Amino acid sequence: MSLEEIISLDAPGTRVLLLGNEAIARGAIEGGIGVFTTYPGTPASEIADTLALVAKRIGMYMEYSTNEKVAMEVAGAAAIAGVRAMTAMKHVGLNVAADPFMTLAYVGVNAGMIVVSADDPSCWSSQNEQDNRYYALLSGVPMLEPANPQEAKDMVLYGLRISEELKLPVLLRTTTRISHMRADVTLGPIQRPSLKGSFEKDPQRYVPVPAHARRLHIALLEKMEKAKEISEKCEFNAIIEGEGTSEYGVITSGAAFNCVMDALHMLNIDVDVLKLGMTNPLPEQIVIDFLKRCEKVIVVEELEPYLELQVKMLAYEHGLNVKILGKREGLLPRFHELSPDVVLNAICNAFGIKHHSGNSNTMEVYEKEVKEILPPRPPILCPGCPHRAIFYAVKEATKGKAVYPTDIGCYTLVLNPPLKTADILFCMGSSIGTSCGLSKVLDSAIVAGIGDSTFFHAGIPGLINAVYNKHKFVLVIADNETTAMTGHQPHPGTGITGLGEKSTAVAAEDVAKGCGVKFVKVVDPYNLEETIRAIKEALEADEVAVIVARRKCALLATRERFEKGEKIIPYKVDPEACKGCKICITRFGCPAIVWNGKHAQIVEELCIGCGVCAQVCPHNAIGEAK
Amino acid sequence: MIEEFNIMIVGVGGTGVLTLSRILGHAAVLEGEKVRVGEIHGMAQRGGSVFCEVRIGNKVYSPIIPQGRADILISLEPVEALRAAYKVSSKSIVLMNTHPIIPPVVSLGLARYPSLEEILEKMRKFSSKIIARDFTELAKEVGTVRVLNTLMLGVVYSIGKIPLRKESIERAIEDVIPPRFVSINIEAFRRGIAEGQGLVKEQIS
Repeated sequence: MSLEEIISLDAPGTRVLLLGNEAIARGAIEGGIGVFTTYPGTPASEIADTLALVAKRIGMYMEYSTNEKVAMEVAGAAAIAGVRAMTAMKHVGLNVAADPFMTLAYVGVNAGMIVVSADDPSCWSSQNEQDNRYYALLSGVPMLEPANPQEAKDMVLYGLRISEELKLPVLLRTTTRISHMRADVTLGPIQRPSLKGSFEKDPQRYVPVPAHARRLHIALLEKMEKAKEISEKCEFNAIIEGEGTSEYGVITSGAAFNCVMDALHMLNIDVDVLKLGMTNPLPEQIVIDFLKRCEKVIVVEELEPYLELQVKMLAYEHGLNVKILGKREGLLPRFHELSPDVVLNAICNAFGIKHHSGNSNTMEVYEKEVKEILPPRPPILCPGCPHRAIFYAVKEATKGKAVYPTDIGCYTLVLNPPLKTADILFCMGSSIGTSCGLSKVLDSAIVAGIGDSTFFHAGIPGLINAVYNKHKFVLVIADNETTAMTGHQPHPGTGITGLGEKSTAVAAEDVAKGCGVKFVKVVDPYNLEETIRAIKEALEADEVAVIVARRKCALLATRERFEKGEKIIPYKVDPEACKGCKICITRFGCPAIVWNGKHAQIVEELCIGCGVCAQVCPHNAIGEAK
Repeated sequence: MIEEFNIMIVGVGGTGVLTLSRILGHAAVLEGEKVRVGEIHGMAQRGGSVFCEVRIGNKVYSPIIPQGRADILISLEPVEALRAAYKVSSKSIVLMNTHPIIPPVVSLGLARYPSLEEILEKMRKFSSKIIARDFTELAKEVGTVRVLNTLMLGVVYSIGKIPLRKESIERAIEDVIPPRFVSINIEAFRRGIAEGQGLVKEQIS
């Protein structure tokens, strides 16, 4: 059965294998979500991608919004108008959406609304590993933390119920190890979504001018008191009892809970575990009762001591004598994801347990003898990737002497040798804002790079700023006609919606012109000469200049050609003509080109025949394989 | 019910690591087992090191295999086996494809790719039960390098340690692989089983 069939299967009780994110998508279908919005970002992307497969057929509206702020507004408004809604984003996406999110908590909703924040401890695919559980505290929104795909699905349904009871959006906070955990999930019944909303005007609630907002804040705090009662009864807050012989306890949630259970299994010890599934507001009475029965408790959680500080506060307020250990005692790190091994050590240290695994010197041998001989294998741009050609041209045109602000996308990978054309990055769209700042205070040339989807997401205000405030730099929009890094989602430039419908394609060059940029050129990066010339001309301009380098993502283009039955003709190095200068390797760096000891050689299975290396070779030694 | 069985699958992005983990996970669900698969998506997938952890059993919670607890390590690329060496112990079986994929940092002269002998020597410090062979060549014999993953699954299956039925795995291949590639992958899986029986006697004592 395909994912498309599984995800909309109306057969309650069926057990299937689902990715955490697919399970959340299934939860949306079982919960009758009418409006789903997102901006793609790892580790949240597959929620939307899964729904995109079936949305039209099951009567759900879904969209890839321009950015997370818009996504939050679209879903929030639908929920206010009485249609169940969900918006999903990665952790840093919630920063972009934080403005509407904070006030949506004041305004509240009428139909259930779930905000999914997929956090990324260990920065698998992110620029930071911020702990978004603090957004629940900051906004005053209830939060649920699943520990596996089954819970992720079930919590969507539970979250919708309490969202409607409290008239508040509910934050469903996952992490990479939940979103990207594939596990057995038992399906429930499906609810047909209703898309018909109604809006009763009530400016005192929906228009938070200061006088209204002051009242709404108090109303929100009252809702949180009610949420505390819900948390005490929440089925996802549970004690996993040991054998009753131990005075030790563990308090944990989410992915950390899994590590705790594995560690206890390995240690084979008797400890009670309080697993928290609703972590804002905390079920205070449950926590206090648990603390009362323990002599010593360790709080095991990923990233910040979010639970730990609250648990310690409760113990202080209730004058409890229990010893509570965690990050502040240095037992667990405040960085990176946890593993069963890290948690096992922390539990041993907390409870004074000696543990001898059969392989106690495994890590020592690995650290001392293996690590040093492992060649690094970081992610790289694919063979034939147009970004490689673009930034090769950027480097050639500037002789490597400019400063290169970069942005979020596959092209961030040009930071690695040999291209090394990524110098500064904060977040989505920051290439343009940082270029404004740098150009004001530096004498050197500035050439920024941004992707198409990222440009639409957060680049436009920065570009208007550059025009208006007279900043001078070159902006290269690396337009590969898709959102590549997160799995090829459509965006405003593609003219295809999340539902697969045709719409108006917004061209980046038209947007740039509309922002007031006078120098705008569109080039094909597979034509190196044209691209280098355009960048050189742009560098001569007196003001901000924009180059749109357009060429479809090589992965996507190759897939399309394959499906059409087109033959891909790889390129080949003529061993006689190759002079061994290695420019194709040391300056261009396509992974399909290797050095065989005598001359450069193209790995046939990898080459997609883009032909850019043939333009890079100064000795005309590369051509199409006959 | 299985208590705990761990299979680590490693390789380079785009070579079939994720697909293999899905096949195993799906086969386990078909047999009514509890399963947890840890996957890596997103940026890490673009030609970088990729690893998946398949955990089957009612005592299993986290998708992360603890150090030394992988029952089986399947490595689609030699140096990637070594990168995951801390997951295996003397009890583990290591199935290693000896066909290297040279990372660009090596082509650039910024790092060295160790010799196969060196890789095996280091690997033996963790487990002596290593089956190493150029399975890429064998996959080409079946028809395409794209079946490397199912071929190696067949080889490891022939050792008889994976606690799932052959029929479940073949059914999982049918369910997970796109229809037009199912038959060649079934063929590769069966060829792997046949090849494996000989290899096991040769290399594992």
